[in-house]
Formats: sequence, structure tokens, C-alpha cells
Amino acid sequence: MDSSFFAYLQQLELMAFFSGYPLVYALTVFFAGNQKVKNNFKKRIVSLLPFGYALVGTLYAGLQLKKLYPDYSFENIKLSTQHPWLIFWALLSILFWIPALAKQKVFSLIHSLVFFLFLVRDLFLQLSISNMNESIVKNDMNVYTNSLLLNFGAFTILVLLSFLFTLYKKV
Amino acid sequence: MKLLSNKTLMILLVLISGYGYIAGCTHKGDLLLPVPTSTGIIITRGVNFHLPGNMTAGDSSQWKLDKAHSSVLWSTNYVGAAGLLTGRFNQFGIHEVISAKMIYYAATGQALKDTSWAFYENDPSKSYLNGYVQINTSNTGEPGRDTGCNIGTLGTIKVIPGTQNLSDSNLAKIKSTKIEFDPLSNDYFVTFNLTWKGKLTAPLTKSIVGRLKYIPKAYVSNYAVFGLQLKFQLNCRDFGIASTSVSDKIDIECNMNFNNK
Repeated sequence: MDSSFFAYLQQLELMAFFSGYPLVYALTVFFAGNQKVKNNFKKRIVSLLPFGYALVGTLYAGLQLKKLYPDYSFENIKLSTQHPWLIFWALLSILFWIPALAKQKVFSLIHSLVFFLFLVRDLFLQLSISNMNESIVKNDMNVYTNSLLLNFGAFTILVLLSFLFTLYKKV
Repeated sequence: MKLLSNKTLMILLVLISGYGYIAGCTHKGDLLLPVPTSTGIIITRGVNFHLPGNMTAGDSSQWKLDKAHSSVLWSTNYVGAAGLLTGRFNQFGIHEVISAKMIYYAATGQALKDTSWAFYENDPSKSYLNGYVQINTSNTGEPGRDTGCNIGTLGTIKVIPGTQNLSDSNLAKIKSTKIEFDPLSNDYFVTFNLTWKGKLTAPLTKSIVGRLKYIPKAYVSNYAVFGLQLKFQLNCRDFGIASTSVSDKIDIECNMNFNNK
């Protein structure tokens, strides 16, 4: 078993956290943009999308810290990191907690598309290479489903918290 | 998001995701498990029975122990922790050696007839089995051990040429008390008394349960053969064997072949 296996696992991990966001983003923006369901909360829901994404990024950072525990030395981080630039890019998602950055919600979409492209690449390879291992696509789709659930869950929690906070302020 | 409208983006993402699910949901790579051939244990027992009679040569109804093609093997872990130490007993037989027969015999071969047994394939209550080994005939293939440390360790004396030593200090014998079906296989459970003096002051009898396998009768040209295999384990410490070279547990395997020539 060489490091490519661990690199693949790290890639799946990244996909599990971030690849589901584009679809959650697109669906939310689409339905919120529908004229028939326009109301006061529309703008607010959409504005929460980058925060949901930031929450997912924070959870990812937490997982990485848990995996490194108790040795947070540079050597250990270097040894256990297979995709340093991708992980760095993934951790940048935490920056969407900053309201000024969160206002540009399309940035969060662009950020997450990097990870969605892994899925697109594997699907494209399966289409173009006849004898490609089908398990890769199966794995990808399992991970993608989990990512959708995670991103949807994170977004829902933030929406609920936001409404609860609004109610609390009114009371 | 002017470059790519929300609607277009959503359709694109849904299409890609949908294709992924369709492509990932094929069962082409799944392993097809073979249908089990049986859902339970199939136990088949015939109606064969074998008796030694008086071992009259030429009488096909009387079954004789084919000692030349039989064996009594032992094995134990070296120093109780390493690989197996193994050996066999050169002299053994299927005879109930009562006290009166536990003497020295002036003979080069077996002094007692192998007639103390009966086997009924379908009625183990009628089966019985008595046997013995001469301890000092243990053969590991290393004469230095066989006539050296093994003799002292097992509390016996060296082989006297031209003599069969069936004295109590050189004899380990078994006498079955119950034979019954193994409900989970074609084998049988044999409860028997093992009597051996070892390094004790007097022979000790211990009740042991072993597994008996019957290898059914088969015809070979103008005669027939069958086999019995008895496996059991004993604790040599019970018999005063204090050697640190051998484990406390000794596995015994008796492979008995019979013919009706």
C-alpha cells in the first residue's frame, strides 16, 4: 500500500465535506429566486449560504485537528498531508465566517466547485475509458450523497439558529 | 452570477449528479455469491459392522488390524511454546491388557492378539475399543532422544531386544466406556479410561473423551479395508511427567487400518 492510497482517501474526505455544496447552493438560490415564493426571508436564507459553508469548513478543520492529535508538530503535519494545497484551499472556507467575505456568496460556490470537479473528472473518465474501475464512481457517489446531507444539514442548522435568534430579539 | 444563471447552474449540477447516481448504481462490479449447496449438516451412517473374531486368516468376516499400515502418533509443543515435537510408538495393539497380562513377553512382534474391539457404524452402544502402546518404543527419529532422555522422562526402561515389555511401567492403555454419535458430524465421541503409570508410584486412570472417525469399508481387489482414527488429548502432568521440554498437553492420534484378508 503506497501513499497514493492515502492520497485517494484524503481526496474522498475533501469531497465528503465540500463537493455537495454547489448543488445545495444552486437549489437554494433557485427556489429563493422564484417569484412565487418571494417573501421577507428570501434574502436572509440566501445570505446564510456562505455561513453554512463556513460551518462545514470548520467541521473539516476540527476533523484534521482530531486526526493530528496529540502530535501537532510540523513534521507530523507534513507526513500526514497528501494534498497540502488542496487542504489549505479547503481550510480557507473558514474565512466565510467573515461577514464582508460572506456577502460575496458566489465566492463560496467557486471555492466549492474545485472539489465538485473531482466528481466531474471521475465521471468523465468513466465515460471515456471503457475498462475503468466502476467502484471509483460508486465511491464518489456515496461520498457525494454524504456531502449533500452534510451541507444541507449545516445550512438547515444555521437557518434555524438564525430564525431562533430573530425571534429571541423580537421577544 | 451573471455568466451562468442560477437556473442553468442548477440544471447542470442536477444533470451531473443524476448521471453520477445512474453510473454508480449499476451492479456490474458486484460479486455474485454462489448458491449454497446445503443449508444444514448432512450426516449419513451406513449399517456396516466389523468384528475381529479370532482373526482367522482367510475368513473375510473377521477383521484383522493391519499394524504395518497403522500408527499411533503423538505431538506436543516443544518447551510448551515452540513448534511441534512429534513421534510415534513402534509397538501398539488393540487388546485389553489386564493385570495378569502385564508382563514381559519373549517375542519380536505383538504378543497379544488385536481382538479387543468391535465397531457398529449405526449402533455405537455395541462398539468398544481397548488398546495399548509400549511407552519405550516411542520413535522420534532421533535415537539419542528415544533411548536417552525420553526413557528417563517417561519413567520406563530401554527396549530389551527380543522382548515385548508390557509391564505396568511401560504400558499406557485405553478402555472405552462409552461410544456415541457426534450429532454434528459423521464422527463418534469415545469416552475411555486412560491408564498409565508415567512417573507416578502406581498407574493412574483418567477418563478422557476423544473423537473417533470411521473410514468406511472399501474393496481392494479380493479383500476389503476400513479405517478407524481416534484423536484425543491428555495432560502428561497428571501422570507425573515434569519435563520442561514438552508441553503439558499431548495430542494423540491413532490411525488404525483393518483388512479382512
